Amino acid sequence: MPVAIGNYIALSAVMFFLGVAGVLLRRNPLVTLMSIELMFNAANLLFMAFARAWLANAGQVFAFLVITVAAAEAAIGLAIVVTTFRDEKNVDVDEIRLMRG
Amino acid sequence: MTGIHHVMGVDGSYPLLVALWLLPLAGAIACWVLGPQLKTAAGWLAGAVVAASFVLATLSWGAGTQNVAGALGAHQALLSWIPGFDFGLLLDPLSLLWTFVITGVGFLILFYSMGYMEGDRAYARFFAYMSFFVFAMLTLVLSDNFVGLLIGWGLVGLASYFLIGFWFDRPTAVAAARKAFVMNVVGDVAIMFAIFAIVTKLHSTAFGDVFASAGAFGPKLLFVICIALFIGAAAKSAQIPLHTWLPDAMEGPTPVSALIHAATMVTAGVYLIARCAPLWSASHDAALLAGTIGGLTAIAGAILGCVQWDIKRILAYSTMSQIGYMIMGVGVGAYEGGVAHFFTHAFFKAQLFLASGLIIHALANEQDVRKMGGLRKKMPLAFWAILTGVLSICGIPGFSGFFSKDRIIFGTLQHGHPWLYAVGIVTAGLTAYYMFRLLFITFLGRYRGDVDPAELGMRPQPTVTADAAHAAHRTPAWIMGLPVAILMVPTVAIGAALMFGGEDSPWARYFAPQFGAQTLPAPGISEGMTSLIVLLFVIAGFAIAWWRYAAKAAQADAVARLRSESVRMPAVLTNLFYFDAVIDLIFVRTSQLFGTLFERVLDPHVIDGAVREVTLVTRAAGAFVQAAESGLVRAYALILALGAACFIVYYAFAAGGLH
Amino acid sequence: MIAFWVLGAIVIVSAVWTITARKPVYSVVALLANFAALAVLYVTLSAEFLAVMQIIVYSGAILVLFVFVIALLSSGVAPFSAGPNRLKGILVPAVVVVLAALGFLIYATAGVTAVAPGSVHTTSSVGPVGSAGVFGSVADFGKALFTVQLLPFEITALILMVAVIGVVLLAGDRVPYVPTRKRAAEVERSMREAILRGGE
Repeated sequence: MPVAIGNYIALSAVMFFLGVAGVLLRRNPLVTLMSIELMFNAANLLFMAFARAWLANAGQVFAFLVITVAAAEAAIGLAIVVTTFRDEKNVDVDEIRLMRG
Repeated sequence: MTGIHHVMGVDGSYPLLVALWLLPLAGAIACWVLGPQLKTAAGWLAGAVVAASFVLATLSWGAGTQNVAGALGAHQALLSWIPGFDFGLLLDPLSLLWTFVITGVGFLILFYSMGYMEGDRAYARFFAYMSFFVFAMLTLVLSDNFVGLLIGWGLVGLASYFLIGFWFDRPTAVAAARKAFVMNVVGDVAIMFAIFAIVTKLHSTAFGDVFASAGAFGPKLLFVICIALFIGAAAKSAQIPLHTWLPDAMEGPTPVSALIHAATMVTAGVYLIARCAPLWSASHDAALLAGTIGGLTAIAGAILGCVQWDIKRILAYSTMSQIGYMIMGVGVGAYEGGVAHFFTHAFFKAQLFLASGLIIHALANEQDVRKMGGLRKKMPLAFWAILTGVLSICGIPGFSGFFSKDRIIFGTLQHGHPWLYAVGIVTAGLTAYYMFRLLFITFLGRYRGDVDPAELGMRPQPTVTADAAHAAHRTPAWIMGLPVAILMVPTVAIGAALMFGGEDSPWARYFAPQFGAQTLPAPGISEGMTSLIVLLFVIAGFAIAWWRYAAKAAQADAVARLRSESVRMPAVLTNLFYFDAVIDLIFVRTSQLFGTLFERVLDPHVIDGAVREVTLVTRAAGAFVQAAESGLVRAYALILALGAACFIVYYAFAAGGLH
Repeated sequence: MIAFWVLGAIVIVSAVWTITARKPVYSVVALLANFAALAVLYVTLSAEFLAVMQIIVYSGAILVLFVFVIALLSSGVAPFSAGPNRLKGILVPAVVVVLAALGFLIYATAGVTAVAPGSVHTTSSVGPVGSAGVFGSVADFGKALFTVQLLPFEITALILMVAVIGVVLLAGDRVPYVPTRKRAAEVERSMREAILRGGE
């Protein structure tokens, strides 16, 4: 593999932490979920890179399973968002504060 | 430190001794438990039990006085666990003597109380307590180690508390009982510290071990131990400055005063010093201190006895003074003399108390001598009883007190204490004065029971029942009269019988193996000369009392004289040398101050404040943490991210990182 | 080589646009670009099957789901209404944490080399696409999935079923529960009435 593994690690890290920033700084729940998808994909990228580097297809298998789980998680997350914000005036994560105190 | 453990007495099995010791306890328990059922039989039961102990004591004479290769007396082991800390009973001449007095005089007094306490609401309880007291006192004198002695010491104090406060619906009695108990506790603690010191040095509390190695303590430690023991003795025997409980203890019934506060319990201090004779002989400073305190108490008690008006208080101060003599005697080293005086004092003081009890009983509880008078014709038995007692206590030659008191006074000179010698002689004169004063005011002249108290100089009193004047005719029951009559015999004669002959007397021979021979330089004044000087002072005291109270002129205006004497008594004497006031100021007031301090300041502000602070801190911490529970998802996500970042930083540097 | 840099740039730019777009629909589009770039990146890493999976599942299913939900919750194009910002002060700490973590992570992994640890065993070799036993081919992937990694596969299937049930429970319509016996009686009564009416 012509590209050093460190580059992939760096790229994956940047993408991951962009996702973290998105979760922390955006108040729209949908954007939050999308940031979480970003984080999943960053991890996936790392899986793939190391699978290629070590020529071990276990990494690819796991990346596949990550995609599946991410899909399930996205579905449930969106269902939660739908039920929570169905009757709310503002679609804002900060409005959901029942666990306060 | 394991070593040879010395046992005092011939070791063996003496079942009589154990029975002697435990019978009074059985009687006490029976009277306690079966009191309501026994009713008047409780008195007979208690009397029988104590009489049985007396009989067993006489049967143990041989065992008690045996002397087998240096081991004196009989030793019965009770509980063996660690050598040196075993419990056992020791019957040697000293404890045998005390046992005779306790059970013998005790039996007579119990017999007397059957009549004195007749009709009392708590008749059986009285005899239970008295029997318990006999048991406790026997524990004290029969123990073969310091701890057993201390146990008996404490139990005796407890019995005294029970009996002083027997009529507990009288607040004065309750206060007196409490005062006696608290002051005795001071003594208990002092003895405890003495035991600590002994155990630290010798790892043993048995008498045999301690006396065998008396020299191993070193002069300073020995002095400290003797002082601690002496504080205990002073508390129990009402020596200055721990004497203030004894006059107040007269709140108890007269038989109690006779048995406990005259004949037996207050002599426990004398027993202690006599028992620890090897320690006292080895420490000259301790002996000097003991003798001095004894002498001081003797003369102070005598002075205060001269100014009392309550018949029992006169006798109480007399007791204090006489025990001062005893302590002085055994303190300086005249062990035989001190113990002899204990022996004779037990008889005549018990008799004096019982006879005064006859008077009190007959006059329907009138105790102030100013309201008595003229009882010679009406109560002849009481008169003769008190007369013999007074003659004995003054040391009139031939009577029993003469032998023992002169032994002590001469003994102080023999052991080189001329000041104590002088004190003893002066006190003898004072003793004569106040005892004859008692006799004259009570029995001579005209009966003053119907005189207005104010005329006599008395403070206003609740009125005595109207038939008090007639009650003097009532003869006491034979139950009360018989012990008094019986006690007259030893009061008069026992001194002559046992102690006549000095070194060759039966008394000296009895105690020779116990105390050992002491070679002393012959002092300047001989024993005969000493007796003569004492007699002169006694006659002087008698003469002054006669002139003031018994002469025809004195009796003519007796009421006026009594009044003037009451009114003009100096405050320092009426306030009993201010001992009570000082103790109250130093100890009682400061304790109350501490109590108030705790109640007002420490409890609400410090202790409660600390608890409040804890709750406040917890609440503040909770509020602080609560701020983090904002309920906002993003805030929680930030904390998660922060945690992850910390992990990453850690790995960057510490664990898997490439540095 | 150059593919990596280009694709990397696209990945990062699209990621940034995802998290900063005003309207959520724009975020979805940016995410789509991100996934596409990733898929191409997978191809360069000899993972063709996975690249196709990425396109089908992620951009084809998940992003469509997102679009449906956006449509459900708003008029779609207009910006979502939002309440007051209750956590204004989060910007600085968030940025600091992110940058710090990122920096230290890269610092820590700076010298990582691609040496396989002993526990990872190489299963295949690189070769032309399509042949079995070649790393990244469907056959190779499938063989691993259904033999060595069978258990995770089955568990993932279970997870999917749970997800489906969960979504239905969470977001499905609520039907009031009527006891069966009562319902049967009701039905019978209505039927009798209908027959009686029908007989008129």
